[in-house]
Amino acid sequence: MKRSFRRMRKWQCSRRSQEDNVNCEKWYRFVSLAMTRICFMDYPTIFSITEDEIDLNDLLAQITLTSTGAAAIFTGMVRGETRRGEAHDTEYLEYEAYIPMAEAKMKQVADEIRAKWSSVDGIAIVQRIGKLYPKTPTVLIACTAAHRDTGVFEAARYGIDRLKEIVPIWKKEVSPSGEFWVEGEYVPKAGE
Amino acid sequence: MNRIKLLFFATLRDRAGTKSMELEVPDGMTVQGLKNKLSEEYPNLKESMKSVLITIDREYAFDEAVIPPDAEMAMFPPVSGG
Repeated sequence: MKRSFRRMRKWQCSRRSQEDNVNCEKWYRFVSLAMTRICFMDYPTIFSITEDEIDLNDLLAQITLTSTGAAAIFTGMVRGETRRGEAHDTEYLEYEAYIPMAEAKMKQVADEIRAKWSSVDGIAIVQRIGKLYPKTPTVLIACTAAHRDTGVFEAARYGIDRLKEIVPIWKKEVSPSGEFWVEGEYVPKAGE
Repeated sequence: MNRIKLLFFATLRDRAGTKSMELEVPDGMTVQGLKNKLSEEYPNLKESMKSVLITIDREYAFDEAVIPPDAEMAMFPPVSGG
C-alpha cells in the first residue's frame, strides 16, 4: 500500500510545475497519513497476559512482515541478585494482573506507539504472570519496522515504560528474609 | 440503590482479605464517597485509601467521578509490572 502511494506521488509530481509540487507533497503527506491510519488494521499487534513461557521466536515471526527489516526487542527477567540501591536476593517473584483491563491497556500502549512512530510494522506486548524464578523472562516488548533508524528502538523503550505506568500488573517479591508487594509510583491521569 | 462489583488486587486484596465483593451503594455516589464508606466499614483499608488507584469499568477513575449503574470497579496500588 505504502509503495503504491509512492508510485502515485512520482507520477503526480512529474506532471506538475515546481510550485504545484509543493501542494502535491502536502496532499501526498495527508493521504499517506490517512492511509497509514487505515492500514493499522493490517499491521500485526499482539498483546497478552499469559502463564506460559514467552516464545520469542514465535512472537517475532508473527510481527515480521515482508517489508520488515528490523526488530527492537526488550525483555525483562527475574533478577536473583540486586546490587543497585538496597542490595538483596530474590527467591522468586509472583505476578498477578487484572487481566481484561491489562490487555485493554496493552492495546492502548500499542495504539500510542503507532500514533508516535508510524514507521512501526508490528508490535508484540506480552507479560507472563504466576510464580517466576531468577533468570526467567517475565515481559517482552517487540517492535518491527522496515529499517533500524526509523524510531523502532525508541518505540520498544516507550512500550516498556508505558507498561510499567498504566498496565494493571503487580509483583510480589519473595526473598529469604520475607515477602512484600512491589508498588510503582506512577499515578495515571484522566484519560489514561 | 446501585449494585456494584468491587475487585481488589495486590496489597489491597491482602488488606481487604478478599478478591472481590458486591456492594449496594446509593445512586449518584462518587468515587470519593465510596472511599469514605470503605474506610468506615473496613478499618484495614483506611490507610490504603490515600494512595489507591481506582477503576470504573476498566478505566482509571478519580475522586469526583460518579459511579454508574452495575459498575465493575477495582482498587489497587500503583502498578509494578514488567
